[in-house]
Amino acid sequence: MPGFLLPSATLLAQSILSGIFVGALYGLLGLGLSLSWGLLRLINLAHFAFAFLAAYLCYQLATMGMDPLLTLVAIVPLFFSLGAALHAALARFELSPFNSLLVTFGLTGIVEAVIQSIWTADFRKLESSYGERHFKIAGLFVPLPELVTLLLAAGLSLAVWAVLRYTDLGKALRASAEDAPIAAAFGINRRRNALLLAGTCSALASVAGVCLALGFTLAPSQIYAWIGVVFAAVMLGGLGRALAPLIAGIVIGVSEAVTMAVTAPSWAPLVSFTLLIAILLLRPGRAA
Amino acid sequence: MRTPIAIVCVAVALAFVPALGLPAFYDSLLYLVLNWIVLATSWNILSGYTGYFSFGHGAFFGVGMYTTSTLLARWNWPFLWTLPAAAAVACALGVALGAIVFRVKGIRGEVFALLTLAVTFVVGTIIVNTPIDGGNGVSLAAVPVPVIGPTPSSTFYLLALAAATVTLLVAWGITVSKLGAGLFAIHDDEDAAEVMGVPTYRYKLIALAISCALAGVAGGIHALFLNYVTVGEVFTITVPLTVVLMSVLGGTRHWAGPAVGAVAITLLLYSFTAANYAVAGKAMVGLILIASILFMPGGILPRLQRTFVRRRVAPTQPPALEPPPVQPAAVATGEVMLAVRGLAKSFRGVQALCGVDVEVRRGEILGLLGPNGSGKSTFINVVSGHYLPSGGSVMFEGQELAGREAHRIARAGISRTYQIPRPFGNQSVLDNVALATLFGAGVSSPAAARREAMTWLTFTGLQGKAHAHPDQLNLHQRKFLELARALASRPRLVLLDEVLSGLTPSEIDDAVALVRRIRDHGSTVVFVEHVMRAVMALTDRVVVFDHGELLAEGTATEVMLRSDVMAAYLGQAYAAPEPAPAEAPSNAERDHA
Amino acid sequence: MLEVRDLQVAYGQAPALWGVSLELREHELLCVVGPNGAGKTTLINTLAGMLRARGGRIVFEGRDITALAPHRFCEAGVAIVPEGRRLFGSMSVLENLEIGSLVPAAKARRAGSLETVLALFPVLETKLAQAAGELSGGQQQMVAIGRALMARPRLLLLDEPSLGLSPLIVHEMFGAIRRVNTEGTAVLLVEQNVSMALRVAQRAYVLEEGRMVAEGTPGELLQRDDVRRAYLGA
Repeated sequence: MPGFLLPSATLLAQSILSGIFVGALYGLLGLGLSLSWGLLRLINLAHFAFAFLAAYLCYQLATMGMDPLLTLVAIVPLFFSLGAALHAALARFELSPFNSLLVTFGLTGIVEAVIQSIWTADFRKLESSYGERHFKIAGLFVPLPELVTLLLAAGLSLAVWAVLRYTDLGKALRASAEDAPIAAAFGINRRRNALLLAGTCSALASVAGVCLALGFTLAPSQIYAWIGVVFAAVMLGGLGRALAPLIAGIVIGVSEAVTMAVTAPSWAPLVSFTLLIAILLLRPGRAA
Repeated sequence: MRTPIAIVCVAVALAFVPALGLPAFYDSLLYLVLNWIVLATSWNILSGYTGYFSFGHGAFFGVGMYTTSTLLARWNWPFLWTLPAAAAVACALGVALGAIVFRVKGIRGEVFALLTLAVTFVVGTIIVNTPIDGGNGVSLAAVPVPVIGPTPSSTFYLLALAAATVTLLVAWGITVSKLGAGLFAIHDDEDAAEVMGVPTYRYKLIALAISCALAGVAGGIHALFLNYVTVGEVFTITVPLTVVLMSVLGGTRHWAGPAVGAVAITLLLYSFTAANYAVAGKAMVGLILIASILFMPGGILPRLQRTFVRRRVAPTQPPALEPPPVQPAAVATGEVMLAVRGLAKSFRGVQALCGVDVEVRRGEILGLLGPNGSGKSTFINVVSGHYLPSGGSVMFEGQELAGREAHRIARAGISRTYQIPRPFGNQSVLDNVALATLFGAGVSSPAAARREAMTWLTFTGLQGKAHAHPDQLNLHQRKFLELARALASRPRLVLLDEVLSGLTPSEIDDAVALVRRIRDHGSTVVFVEHVMRAVMALTDRVVVFDHGELLAEGTATEVMLRSDVMAAYLGQAYAAPEPAPAEAPSNAERDHA
Repeated sequence: MLEVRDLQVAYGQAPALWGVSLELREHELLCVVGPNGAGKTTLINTLAGMLRARGGRIVFEGRDITALAPHRFCEAGVAIVPEGRRLFGSMSVLENLEIGSLVPAAKARRAGSLETVLALFPVLETKLAQAAGELSGGQQQMVAIGRALMARPRLLLLDEPSLGLSPLIVHEMFGAIRRVNTEGTAVLLVEQNVSMALRVAQRAYVLEEGRMVAEGTPGELLQRDDVRRAYLGA
């Protein structure tokens, strides 16, 4: 077993910061997944495929000259419609959460194949002006793409939280998730709300995809690398919540980063998955 | 006996393939097909049969691989001896995992899937960071391949063939055994199975152990086949998802389903890869998975069976004998058989039962009455073990049953029906009853259980529907199926929960006659009912519950004329029959219990 | 105001209502009583749009609402207090009440409706921020009734409001229901607690095994032998 190194304070702080950044991305990816699972009772594995598809589209548009963040203007509405359309197609089958997991896994394979056929399996890195800019805050290195990710993640999580908490739509969604027939008896149009929500979850995935494109190297096989750790964040935070995935994601990101700084990067997955196992053993009811 | 012979014959025939002298490539392709057959079939033994879909199969396969590779590379074991070791280690990991996970209530479905997936990543991370792998993989290039076939690739083929044969035989064997009957019951309704006497925890562990051991063997063989073992190959989400796909496609309830799926998918993927359309192959597989979940949730095999296999005409049954007598009780007729004292049950602060004392005497029919929400069903649920009591004791023939597991209470001689019938939806009517015979009455073989089950179906008048499925029965028949199931475990005490609700008057008459026959046959009956004329006609004694407490006890006629009982059911109007409609109730008329 | 003609409802293969008919007049407090399993909940749930009828008609305020989509019944002026309360337990009492007034017409008058409900059930004022699932049975029933009232319905449907409640609370509950009725809302009440129901109702029907078997004023019904027999068996 590799030895434990005690890092310097700056190194530790930098690790924690990078943990926060990657954790924010976990949270952003987890947001749509958590909403879908908690409020729609659908475990959408294709969420990750959509994120990557958006990432590749962003990469493509950026290489053709568009500002990466500006691609959101085109990408978000596209994926909103995609998500709503997918939900409309699947809704009539009344899939159990587990079956939705399997079906969306099949969909992931299809999307992965599409990505690979267009962009090949080679690694792609978006080279943009964003990637080169960074700030120095309190002696710590803050790259712009990661900062953008953190801001988007925080902003969107807060926005979703506010909608769920304070607006009539948010209350309607929560009520529908808890007791759908009674919610309908009080005028809540389940079908329309579900389409709205499904579209929003996909839109959130696409934003996460753009953040991915900004900061990471893309390859079709990478889709699967995020699944485990994002599920851990979702379950740690509890389903159907808005702020929880972000907080949980950051907790996981930071613990991973600290683990990596203190031991070796290859130990990092142990953190998130052990946490996930612990949560599932101690509070399995949270998934229901 | 035909099936195992057929499997062995096919295996022996296939063993001659290497002698055909085909290019090594074919041996390897067939090896892969067989490898996936072992993986998918072994996965199905736990996950398909019980419904606990595990996403951790990669871990057990991987552990088998690494056991073999470590034993080969480090300690120079002879290859064939590493295989039982691989099986043992994978099995141990599985059992350790299952021992914890199966104890926690609520870990089912997607939670179980995620948990097992997480375990895969944890095990993989540990292996990659320790000297077992160390991050560089383990090379087995220096290890000699045992000479079993004419060429090395054919050796692997033959080893995989042997493993696949054993796996298929085991999978088939389970489906016709008592273990299999229990596993399928767990799949359909674990709680009802437990109450019926199936030792669910033990059976799930056994299925998991077998599944892991077989996967371990497959891993051991695969290690040497690959020659170079890495964590990234195996400890991922891909292996479990592929076996899920193969099994779901082929049919998870059938022992051969996963094998069919494995052959189909492997050959399909291969044909795409060979034609340089590997990417399209992946998409095709995804499409197939979606289509099979949406349109063929049972899988290919059952669909083919329905189309091509003609239903064997059931041979005319010899007239069914009288069902076996109820076991002699430890208590004489008229004596107290069940003594409940101070039984209490609360749910999150709501007191459903507030300390009730009830006695049931052998040979009587006792009615349990009371308005909705008075605690009658809770009483039945607690006595039968469906819920744990919050306090009090339940003495049955001298044994304390409170707090015991439901399947032990069933074994002690108590059985129950559910208010809303809960038959095992995927099994025939006959098998539903046979399960109760197998686990409740302790009959040892499924075949004998079916014979006895037939007698119970005749007893309840359902013999014509023996091979039908529960969803083809109407409500009345489903209630009688519940009754047949409750009786098949030869209980000395039968608890009936509103067995008459929803029946038409003439069906009620049938049911009343049946309940009498049940008592005359030797069982004592306690039943919860609202249908008053049945209560009047059948009961020797009744007890009335109200708000979780015992309100009254005596014969039906006595009790129903008591003013406090009438008040509980109907309110004061019947106690003071002066109609006072639509007037504001004055303070003086405030009713109280 | 409400006319139900020959309603047939089934759960899958099992029929629950075999051609049920009833009439409710403006501002009336009508009661449907019957033993357990008679089909009372089925009837109420169909009138609230939660179940679809196989046959027959429901005409409300002159409009045929039989085939309306489930979420349109509330707009049409019908609100339900379901059996067992069925509150949104994880949401606060205030949120539960707000859900009641999501339809546009009710939303516009939300503040006023809230005042009315709190005047009817003052104890809820201190519980507004609490999760509905934590309240006692009686308080939950108040929230359930309040939720329905927030929808400003012209017809209030109540399914066994006394279920599982102590007699004192039941008394208060029925008092509130009568007040709601006197203030102009028509009420259709379904109950097992016969005496209480017949004491507040102006007219009643008796439902047994999916069929209407009797109709009349409470006085008339209490004298009938077949009604007594259905309940007491003697």
